[in-house]
Amino acid sequence: MKNEHVIGILEGKPLVELGENELEQIRAHVVTCEACRHAYEAAQVCAMLLQQRAEEIFEPSPFFQTRVLAALRERQADNATWAWSRLWRTAGGLASSMVATVAALAVLTFVIPGTQNPDSQSLPATANGYSTEAVVFDENAQADDQISNNDVFATLYETEDDVVK
Amino acid sequence: MADSKQFGSVTLIFDLERCLTNSLEQSSDLELARLAGSGDESAFAEIVRRYGPRVFRVASRFFRQRSLVEEAAQEVFMKAFTELGSFEGRGSMEGWLTRIATNTCLNLLRSAKRRPQLTVSDLSEAESSWMDNALAQTAREQHQSRERSLVAADLAGRVLHTLSPDDQLVLTMIDGEDASVKDVVEATGWSESKVKVLAFRARRRMREAVEKLLNGKTGKRKSGGPATI
Repeated sequence: MKNEHVIGILEGKPLVELGENELEQIRAHVVTCEACRHAYEAAQVCAMLLQQRAEEIFEPSPFFQTRVLAALRERQADNATWAWSRLWRTAGGLASSMVATVAALAVLTFVIPGTQNPDSQSLPATANGYSTEAVVFDENAQADDQISNNDVFATLYETEDDVVK
Repeated sequence: MADSKQFGSVTLIFDLERCLTNSLEQSSDLELARLAGSGDESAFAEIVRRYGPRVFRVASRFFRQRSLVEEAAQEVFMKAFTELGSFEGRGSMEGWLTRIATNTCLNLLRSAKRRPQLTVSDLSEAESSWMDNALAQTAREQHQSRERSLVAADLAGRVLHTLSPDDQLVLTMIDGEDASVKDVVEATGWSESKVKVLAFRARRRMREAVEKLLNGKTGKRKSGGPATI
């Protein structure tokens, strides 16, 4: 017991909380163990230092309450300003993007169509031969494909005559 | 006649203010929190008045300059104001504010610059003399005097400053203020086992730091070389 190092005991709990048995054990051991004696001395100094440190307590000054309230108002004002500036920046961004969109549309409407073929400008959909417009307005094709009433009757009656025969 | 009427109305306003202040002083913490949360400045002022000393006490564990303590305490109340909605009155407002104060001060210390090293040569003459006499028979009576207490507190602050903020807090509370492990758990929100392990390690680190200083002083007397923590 006497030869057991006591550093573990010193680190286990505050020095003031050590019981009489533990202190006896430490005192008996440090007589023969130099390392533990140094540790015990340092632990005693630590305990004194920490107690002195703990006694240092500041009290709020009479103006502290006013100071906190002033800081609070300042922070709230800052937050309000910040919110407005953020709103302003957002609105600015929105306006500039709208201007950019309008400009892009204007370019697409007035500048780009002017560079195209006048025929395609008047009927752009005719470029595609299968589009609705192409089928409806293709007069040449309509003239070629049109079947007269006589052709229809001839075909019908010819078929019926063939059946009777 | 008109003057007396004006005087009467001013007195009435003062009386009304006094009534309001008195009613706030008698309000419960939960009522105050609700009022302050809805923007009542005088209710928040009452919270600051009521718990200012407690928050200063917590901040004093971490900082040794009045200006720093005051700054930290102000930050604590600013945070408390923004988090008033989370106070439901289940625990005490004192405990709630203590936890905010402890965590705010820990964060402030953590964000501070790197911890400096402390060498024997950094010690002032008074600190050096205190260390010399610390273990003498008369040390206990000597360090009772105001001047020596200041020296000791100063030295304690410098030694603690070489440790991590967590170590500082645990040592100051448990070994300095005789607080229990449970008190530290409530103030920080850490687990009990974490506090115990931290206290064990912090005690070792501080003891080793002081031991080096003591050995350095002995060595300095012999060889003149400085000891560094």
